[in-house]
Amino acid sequence: MKHSRRLSRRDFLKTSAALGAGLTLSQSLPALARTRRQDDELVMWWWGEQELPGLQAWVDDTVAAYTGAKVSAMLQNTDVVISQFQTAAAANEAPDVQFLWNGIYHMESVWFGYLAPLNGLVDQAVLDRSGATRLSFYQGDQYRIGWYPLPMIWEYNKDVFDAAGLDADNPPKTWDALLDACDKIKTSGVDPIGGGVQDGFWGEWYLGHALAQSLDSPSEALDLFIGDLDFREPKYHEFWVRLEELKTSGFLNDSMSSLELYPGIDLVVTGQLGMSESIGTRVPADNDTLNGRVGVMTMPVFGTGALAGKPILDSQGLGISSQTEQKEQAAAFLEFMHAPEQLAKFWELTHWMPADSTWDSSVIDAPIVQQLWDGWVTSADSIPYIPNLMPAQFWTDAMFVASQEIIAGTMTGEAAGDLAARVVQEWRDFNPDLVENYQKWADDLR
Amino acid sequence: MIRTKNPLLPYFFVAPLVLLLLFVFGYPLVQIFDFSFRRIRGIDGPWVGLENYQLILNQPLFHEAVQHNVQLLIAVPIILILSLIIAVILYDRVPGWRIYRTIVFIPYILAVPIVAVVLKKFFQYDGPFNEALRVVGLDLFALDWMGSPDLALWTVLSVIIWREIVFCIVLMLARLLSLDEEMLEAAQLDGAGWWQRLWFIILPQMAGVIEFYFVVSFITMIAAVFSYIFMIGKGGPGTSTMVLELYIFNFLTRSSLPGVASAVSVMLFLVTTVLILILFWVRRGEREQELA
Repeated sequence: MKHSRRLSRRDFLKTSAALGAGLTLSQSLPALARTRRQDDELVMWWWGEQELPGLQAWVDDTVAAYTGAKVSAMLQNTDVVISQFQTAAAANEAPDVQFLWNGIYHMESVWFGYLAPLNGLVDQAVLDRSGATRLSFYQGDQYRIGWYPLPMIWEYNKDVFDAAGLDADNPPKTWDALLDACDKIKTSGVDPIGGGVQDGFWGEWYLGHALAQSLDSPSEALDLFIGDLDFREPKYHEFWVRLEELKTSGFLNDSMSSLELYPGIDLVVTGQLGMSESIGTRVPADNDTLNGRVGVMTMPVFGTGALAGKPILDSQGLGISSQTEQKEQAAAFLEFMHAPEQLAKFWELTHWMPADSTWDSSVIDAPIVQQLWDGWVTSADSIPYIPNLMPAQFWTDAMFVASQEIIAGTMTGEAAGDLAARVVQEWRDFNPDLVENYQKWADDLR
Repeated sequence: MIRTKNPLLPYFFVAPLVLLLLFVFGYPLVQIFDFSFRRIRGIDGPWVGLENYQLILNQPLFHEAVQHNVQLLIAVPIILILSLIIAVILYDRVPGWRIYRTIVFIPYILAVPIVAVVLKKFFQYDGPFNEALRVVGLDLFALDWMGSPDLALWTVLSVIIWREIVFCIVLMLARLLSLDEEMLEAAQLDGAGWWQRLWFIILPQMAGVIEFYFVVSFITMIAAVFSYIFMIGKGGPGTSTMVLELYIFNFLTRSSLPGVASAVSVMLFLVTTVLILILFWVRRGEREQELA
């Protein structure tokens, strides 16, 4: 016979008491954790293994080799890198060291007071050689130290170029030459150019390469994004008109709208696509797969701005929370990351370059990586990556929408300019408290 | 039964749990209402009154998102009709019903992100679905299901139906299994056909579960399709699959404007609350009719 167990009043009260105690404990745990962490260790939240395999091994190695403090490193999910840090900072729970994307992706945290200036904390010589780029500065202070460089490139398949009768060692440099090359590649039976725009990042990269061609300085981009200049002016939406031209000419791959960024770039490696936008960290692997038949180039020029045709260099970086009581220890750890032994380990474990001009680059074993080091990373001509100046609302409501719709054939470049102008106005309405900060930042970049 | 002279004593016993529930559900709700009237940066910000609501209501993207949620409501009658048919077929124990029942339930045990990722690849322009169409000579129908702004929402809708229908089938089948079989057998002996039995005997008895699912799925289409939308196309191509939840997500995590996100959440909460109240009101009316 089964006995059903009834909840007695005593059990009920016990359960209630346990729940209450649990609740109280859960409220006090973060405070306990914070106290313990401040006493014993540095906490670092980082990101990068997602785009640079081997970085986790390097972080593990660096943490193990560092004797100045115990370091606890946590790899963050791509979607929450910024929000996780900002939420933690707002609750006074920020990590000591935080991974920071460049430009606006960390500048809003600067404006909210969540990040400490690194000048005076980190050795100035280390800061200077870390390649953090101009977009890490605000009102004279530097908030990010460079970690590893990201050359923004156009990648092409040399075999496809050969088959189309093109000179694979001299890729097109002007827009007309690009259209001519596309025509020849298409005639050879391969989609000339494209990739995958479904997740939106191809559109962001395209804006980075193409909008820059109409600009004389990064500050001009900031003026555009905050509405002090107007996207409806032909000069400022010409880059979308050029994308529309590639679409209407039939040069983009048909699958572009339904593919994501990296599967789209893979089409270059498999010989189904002539050219695509890419990123330096992908090049070594792609080049190995194609037995050295990958080429890199800057975007062919159509614009007349001072930034047209220049190599674009972004970098990933790290910063220090303004809330940590261990700023000096955190700074010492960042300096340790730039010690010669750790820089050498970086190459060994990731087969990619660290962001440090004193790194011994003689270990580079592939000509194409050397080309990236000379032509992008250490070049005096390199310019910042313009999308790093773009407010998030512009990313989601203008760039993402316009690039996808132009590629789908449902929007013109001119209409994209109208959309961008409207979104900029909306951004101003939603963020009146940020406009002044952006204007000051634009002044910094002039 | 425990008897007490103090009428407050029972309240005292349930108070800890009520307080816990108030803390878990009430506190965030109050916080969201409060946030919706502020320009929040981080976890606090100045009072701006109704400004967040005004900005949202003036933004074309918000109206597009609402429109797409409304369009997704088409799934509700489709799911109801299809699941009713499938449940009745399974209830009739057609040959092979055990295998069919297992197959039908498979989509529901798969996590939404997995379903979304797999079907996204399935419907790619050069994906298996279009390849199959091309193989059989139906190239004309090999469309850009995910990449065309004209088709993407309907593709997402079909994915939602494919998975969500299973819950409805389970509900319908459970209700069918609790029906009085004698009544159905008697109707059959009196010469009632399949359709007559469905229309005059089965459906009237299933009104309650149909109403329940109608409201639940209505709320799902308005406020619980984020995982499908986010995993499949993040609102794109363009704005063609933008829905309210993604609109909230973008303001919360990308634009760092929790106040605006809260204002939309409050509107969504009020709409779903009204729907639930309507359900209660309808159900109570029916119960009173039955008792009368």
